[in-house]
Amino acid sequence: MGPPDGRPLYPYMIWRYVAKHTAKIILLGTLVGASIYVSVFLLTKGMYIPAVMPLIGSGFISYIFLSQKRYPLRWLVPGVIFLTVMVVYPIGYTFVSSFTNVGTGHMLSKEQTIRQLLDRCYVPDAAVVYSYVAFANDDGNLALLLESESATILYVDGNAEELSLPDARLIDEDGDGEIDRYEDYARLSFMQLAQRVSEIEDFRIEYGGTTISLVNLHEFRTRSPLYAYDEEAETMTDQQTGVAYTAVDGIFTSESGEEIYPGYKVWTGLSNYLDLLRNPAVSRPFGKVFLWTIVFATLTLLLNFALGLATAVLLNDPFLRFRTLYRVLMIIPYALPAFVTILIWRGLLNTGFGTINQVLVSLFGAGARVPWLSNPWLAKLSVLLVNLWLGYPYMMIISLGALQSIPSTLYEAARVDGASWWQRFSRITLPLLLIPLGPLLVGSFAFNFNNFTLIWLLTEGRPPMLGTLTPAGETDILISYTYRLAFEGQRGNQLGLAAAVAVVIFIIIATISAINFRMTGALEELSKNV
Amino acid sequence: MKRVVISLLGLMLFAGLTATASEAGKLLIWADDSRAPILVEVAKDFTAVYGVEAIVQEVSFGDIKSQLATAGPAGEGPDILLGPHDWLGELILNGLLEPIVLTPAQVEEFDPVAVDAFSWGNLLYGVPYATENVALIRNTDLVPEVPATFEELLTIAKGLTDLEAGKYGFLIQQPDPYHTFALYSAGGGYIFGEDEDGVLNPCDIGLDNEGSIAGATILDQMVKDGIEIAGAGYGEVVGAFSAGNLAMMIGGPWTLADVKAGGINYAVSAIPPIGGNAPGVFVGVQGFMVSAFSENKVLANLLIKDFLISSDVMLGLYIQGDRPPAYLPALGFLAGNPDIQGFAAAAATAIPMPKIPEMTSVWNAWSDALELIVNQEQDPTTAMQDAANEIRALLGCD
Repeated sequence: MGPPDGRPLYPYMIWRYVAKHTAKIILLGTLVGASIYVSVFLLTKGMYIPAVMPLIGSGFISYIFLSQKRYPLRWLVPGVIFLTVMVVYPIGYTFVSSFTNVGTGHMLSKEQTIRQLLDRCYVPDAAVVYSYVAFANDDGNLALLLESESATILYVDGNAEELSLPDARLIDEDGDGEIDRYEDYARLSFMQLAQRVSEIEDFRIEYGGTTISLVNLHEFRTRSPLYAYDEEAETMTDQQTGVAYTAVDGIFTSESGEEIYPGYKVWTGLSNYLDLLRNPAVSRPFGKVFLWTIVFATLTLLLNFALGLATAVLLNDPFLRFRTLYRVLMIIPYALPAFVTILIWRGLLNTGFGTINQVLVSLFGAGARVPWLSNPWLAKLSVLLVNLWLGYPYMMIISLGALQSIPSTLYEAARVDGASWWQRFSRITLPLLLIPLGPLLVGSFAFNFNNFTLIWLLTEGRPPMLGTLTPAGETDILISYTYRLAFEGQRGNQLGLAAAVAVVIFIIIATISAINFRMTGALEELSKNV
Repeated sequence: MKRVVISLLGLMLFAGLTATASEAGKLLIWADDSRAPILVEVAKDFTAVYGVEAIVQEVSFGDIKSQLATAGPAGEGPDILLGPHDWLGELILNGLLEPIVLTPAQVEEFDPVAVDAFSWGNLLYGVPYATENVALIRNTDLVPEVPATFEELLTIAKGLTDLEAGKYGFLIQQPDPYHTFALYSAGGGYIFGEDEDGVLNPCDIGLDNEGSIAGATILDQMVKDGIEIAGAGYGEVVGAFSAGNLAMMIGGPWTLADVKAGGINYAVSAIPPIGGNAPGVFVGVQGFMVSAFSENKVLANLLIKDFLISSDVMLGLYIQGDRPPAYLPALGFLAGNPDIQGFAAAAATAIPMPKIPEMTSVWNAWSDALELIVNQEQDPTTAMQDAANEIRALLGCD
């Protein structure tokens, strides 16, 4: 690629060209190299799908940066990649999980479960104990010499061989009666043995129809595998009792209903979704929680926007003194971390010990306690008020910015026409504000729809709903209800069911957002006529 | 900029995980911040003797169980972890724990209740180091003598309560089944019944039997008498006691650090008989467990049996958390300690905390019932019947 025709080719141009492309190739090379490293690492961990991702990603990036035709794409690619990694992948993972029974008792994959079960042993009646010494050659290969009361076994390269002593390959160099080497394998010292004992514990030595394995630092013992697995029939058979366990819903179960744990993940199709509809324990509170979620998100949006806008209009008044001071003071709730302030509010609102009630009691006597967080209606009010305190500065900031963009000529014209303050606000300020703020308001609605932090830190969804069959609270919103369902339900975690609820929430929010964007689009149409 | 920060964080997380995975020939121990420093010393001794590196990683207490479930099967988990025995059910069902074999002589060195707590079937899944249970803790300046009965305790408490002055006579943190269980157990209330073989039957739920409802009624009466106050969580109760504003509470060894820091003269004793019956309290046991996904099971066992089972280590752990050691030789050194004696007296009628995973639904339904009683939203009988029915429905026992 030279300079365009008609211009002389100066040497600095060539240098710049070379430098630019060398840098590009070095950077892309590093990226590809790193992604290959990551892929190999993930492959060794058995994570096949995540392992392919970096390769596809780095290949795609290289293509875009090396191809002239795809030049404009390079501005989009970083965003798209992060969107994929941080948004699309988790959504996909949740979606996939919602069709499985993953949860307590079903956390492992089938392979892991079978491997773990086949590794279980029992000590047969005629168990033999072996003491052993270990040797290693220069390549680091291990050799073991096992000794029981009746036999001496040499284990090298995966083969067990019975020795009749003395054997010429075993050498006692210093004549102290202890064997020091086997051929070119030197005996391991105590520390060397400890450092390599984790390799030795994986050895399963087949000898005389039995399996010998390590039980502690100093001993091997004959052990028989507890289960035999029939891959065709998918059955585990207990070798001691002869009972056969068949795979049922991701767990090996005997005919009498006895189960061997751990179980494993299996596809369960739509059963998690059907549970949401069929199981009254889940579906009954769902409607009530859903309604409160909508009310909470809507009221929060309206209250926060109203207060934020009102303060913004006030602070926008050029005749107000100390404007900067007020602005700083009003932004404080937004600037402090919500994790801290919500907990402070929780303490302030505590029925028996909170500062607010202590003040009330000292003013009006012991009967004046207000059950801020324990009465169902007051708890809802408290949640809304605390969220108002937390959220209005954000609305104020964005409104302040948007207010600046409304041309003052419009107000002057309105004044000339004799419009009142309210007419100017409702006919000029509000419609013109909603155009830039619309998307932000939709975002705020979606955020509060899933505002787990606020609910969990302030009330944990409490107080409890009366007469429900699942743990559900009066201030629970869908996301905190999902959390309870996942981690506080039946027996341990029900991650699959929770994933199904999460997918339902995702669909709800996506729909609401889509409708909202339509409506803001309609507002934009309206603005053309202003 | 934000993207750069996020991707850097991601890389650091990735690097952090790879740096601290369980790998052959290198031990990794997970412990929370209070116990990690003691284990670091033990790990150093271990490395000196065996030449094998042992790393103690601080993982916050609440994260150990959930992180093991994902990190273990992915080969990223620890070899040894530290936790309470009531995790056992869930961890075993998820295939995350490896049994530990102790010789009969070694087993005899431990409190039998603690060994029982870490047993599942006929296998031992953890080496216990401490037992913990609640007892009556009183401010000896305000209540010099132990009340002879629970009824007397309530009378004293009522006399000391002055809400307008912020003075309280007796509080049980709420809504908290664990701390309230004494009220239930005294009259014969229980969570799960046992069949003839001593195996828990998760469908025999005793939370709405006569004894349980009697216990819930006592709590209800405490609220009506103005003794128990809504909103009394752990922080409020221990805070009030440590500030000298609370005369008596039900609390465990973990509260003592705050109480001592407050300079309160206190004494620990058994909870007095309720209606003539000695109340039972739950005993929790803390211990060391080995991950099923450890690649160093022999070394992990070696570290636990030869280094952690020692009076020095056990006493070091006692100093960190005031929890009475489960290792009898270490407990012997502390025989004269009045706190230990007080908690032991309360544990005389103790019941090991159930460790079956069904407990998650019990804790939640039960604490909801307690909250409704304390808030006076529901009468104690209906609240307990609703809770028991909720648990039956969740566990599919109808």
